[in-house]
Amino acid sequence: MATVPSAAPIKFEGSSHLASRLVLSTLTGRPVRISQIRSSSHTNPGLLAHEVSFLRLLDAITNGSAIEFSMTGTTVVYKPGLIIGSAAGYGASGGVIRHELPRECTRGVSWFLIPLCMLAGFAKAKVNVLFTGPGVITSATEKGDVSVDAVRTAILPLYKHFGIQNDIELRILKRSNPGPGGKGGGGEVQLVFGHQVRLPKTIHLLNPGRVKRIRGVAYSTGVAAANNARMIETARGVLNTLVADTYIFSDVSSAPLIPAPERGNAAAKKKIGVGFGLSLVAESSTGALYSADVASPPQGGEAPEDIGKACAYQLLETISHGGCASNVGASTMLTLMAMGSEDVGRLTLGKEVIGTEDILQLARDLRAFGMSGWGLRDADREDEVVVSIVGKGVGNVGRKIA
Amino acid sequence: AAEMHGRKEPYRTAELARLLYNEMLSTAEVLRKWRGDDEDEDEEDGVDEEKEGDTFFNRAKNTDVEDTEDRHIPKYDRSELEEKWADEENIEELRSRFASANLLKEGAGDDEE
Repeated sequence: MATVPSAAPIKFEGSSHLASRLVLSTLTGRPVRISQIRSSSHTNPGLLAHEVSFLRLLDAITNGSAIEFSMTGTTVVYKPGLIIGSAAGYGASGGVIRHELPRECTRGVSWFLIPLCMLAGFAKAKVNVLFTGPGVITSATEKGDVSVDAVRTAILPLYKHFGIQNDIELRILKRSNPGPGGKGGGGEVQLVFGHQVRLPKTIHLLNPGRVKRIRGVAYSTGVAAANNARMIETARGVLNTLVADTYIFSDVSSAPLIPAPERGNAAAKKKIGVGFGLSLVAESSTGALYSADVASPPQGGEAPEDIGKACAYQLLETISHGGCASNVGASTMLTLMAMGSEDVGRLTLGKEVIGTEDILQLARDLRAFGMSGWGLRDADREDEVVVSIVGKGVGNVGRKIA
Repeated sequence: AAEMHGRKEPYRTAELARLLYNEMLSTAEVLRKWRGDDEDEDEEDGVDEEKEGDTFFNRAKNTDVEDTEDRHIPKYDRSELEEKWADEENIEELRSRFASANLLKEGAGDDEE
């Protein structure tokens, strides 16, 4: 958008919803100014490691972005460029962008993946990002991130509704739970997103259908495989009476090693990210996905049975919220709907899902970026709302110009 | 009883549509209003003093807690969840959301429709 004189930045305050605001800014091409990021915090004001890392990632997959920090890091001005993807010559080597996450990262890699996927569909070229480094946590985290398995099985399939479905893959190369104190991990994940579109299709998802199957992944990194069996058994104990078609995969891997140089030995490595967890995804007859994720806390002390049970109950809770999208997927779907062609898209959401601060804030942010307001009306079922969103035809800025 | 009638029924869709873009309220306040958690909500008074104090208090709390970050999984109280879903009644209620629950039952449901 080099030819267009840049408009005045849209102003936001606070550290929350940072990723979604940056994504919207990049998609719409409007600059943002986010101020007062943890300005009242005495211990760690300003952006945290994972947020800085996300800005770097945006810089890597776009061309012409400008990012300015204030001295204290409590204010960021972001002028988005074109979403290039992993085209050669823009910092990608061999068509792959290597993105290293710092050791201090406390968020799971899904915190990066979910917004990245939203952008990837609108890139100019294929997006191929390899997340690596000592900060990649592939499991669910205490901070509320889902595991990469949930991204793979509950988020990526959502793009199918929007006509984005070919050549999309999330490779989990190395697993890792959060390291000591919830910081860092040693995982490795590669996202290949090879289906770029001009505009996502308009969706009309009104009937949530009935849950017909449950799939899951139990993962153990650096601990005995028996933990998987124990988690699976308790989870199945809860779910089998409801869904006979329940299948939970078991994935056992050794703990990843990260370099930890010592005084005597510069090449020393240590194990990190030991733990286990369970990710469950329920699929309904109409393709709605509900997911649940629980992982062992970094300080340990929880039996796998408890994790399995907690995860199964969490899944039931998510299913009971109803609607065609769960908490995890709703923001993705709503954002893509707003980007779609100028037509009314409809999506049924549970009242518990739309009634969260994240979604309400997303509605407001979307409007701040010049998107149309949402229409709400009652759905057939008592506890659901139909959200209708008129797309703005923003879609793929890169493709429009080309 | 009069109080009960006076209070609006919570979770009304139209109500949310009205509150959604009211920039005067923070999203947390919108939610509280919509859920009807506001005990002393008076339509005429708008913002009564106690509520103002309430929101102020809330905001102060929010900045303290580092957990206001964007969560993808809402925070659940595990013991509460367990209590809820260990209850057979709740499970039975949810059963209608499952396809495989009981084929006979499902057939009957289809007939009714």
